[in-house]
Amino acid sequence: MIFLTVGTQFPFDRLVKGVDAAVDLGCINEEIFAQIGEGGCEPRNFPAVPSLDKESFDECVARADAIISHAGMGSITLAMSQAKPLLVMPRLKQYGEVVNDHQVAIARKFAEAELVLLAEDQQQLLDKIMLLPLFIPKRRIAQPELVSRRVLQFLNELKIT
Amino acid sequence: MVAPKLKICLAASAGGHLSQLLTVADSWNGCDTFSVCTSEVVRSRLAEYGKTYVVGECNRQHPIRVLAVFLRCLTIALRERPDVVISTGAAAGCMQCFLCKALGAKVVWIDSITNVERLSLSGRMVRHIADLFLVQWPELTEKYSNVQFAGNLI
Repeated sequence: MIFLTVGTQFPFDRLVKGVDAAVDLGCINEEIFAQIGEGGCEPRNFPAVPSLDKESFDECVARADAIISHAGMGSITLAMSQAKPLLVMPRLKQYGEVVNDHQVAIARKFAEAELVLLAEDQQQLLDKIMLLPLFIPKRRIAQPELVSRRVLQFLNELKIT
Repeated sequence: MVAPKLKICLAASAGGHLSQLLTVADSWNGCDTFSVCTSEVVRSRLAEYGKTYVVGECNRQHPIRVLAVFLRCLTIALRERPDVVISTGAAAGCMQCFLCKALGAKVVWIDSITNVERLSLSGRMVRHIADLFLVQWPELTEKYSNVQFAGNLI
């Protein structure tokens, strides 16, 4: 099953329509389930719901063989934490999908590191959807404990002075 | 050794900002903490860090809401008088940093991982008053003065 999610805030019709078109063109044979946001465009080729509570959302992620989503940090983190193959399409300011283009920068960084697949337009979406079943994401190594230690050091210095 | 007597304000918007802040929870272990967040839905995640204040969501596009959140943040700052604010943003965290700084607190800011090429708008403002300013992309330390890279939260 492929889980398509646009995040909790706003619809992202460009992505939903793009995946719908990919099914029409025969790029996807797998079953798809989608979360499309309140008022989002309904796909013709697969079932979709506007929103999911956290429990159902986590269950969809756990069940999915692969995930397609906007390039929101929440979706990316969740997919990475479970080592799920993820294809992201950044929301763009020019289409009114988001207030700035920060999703593009983060998506490119993570795609460069081979942590996710990236599609910046409809053509790339079709190409990358076909690569998705074969994509094995690299694992990201974060070091929150190093940051934690730096903050702790700062707090200890405050206490001394 | 931890610094047990410091009173620390943990300030972050619900969602990614809060998730990132909570990854450094070890740093304030044993301190007297309270939190400021933007939505009721994350109240339970903050319960273990003392009193939780929910100030509501706001952004640049809604000036009236910004004012309402600002006044709530001001009330909290005056009532609690923390020694330190630790924040990952966004707008509410930024306001809490400025207000508490004006009342004598130290400011620790960790800019969100989503800011790859430049700091967040909040971060660019807080940078001028922060006592410790951390970024999650090493390249940003070349672009801005007074910012440090210690590692990635996610």
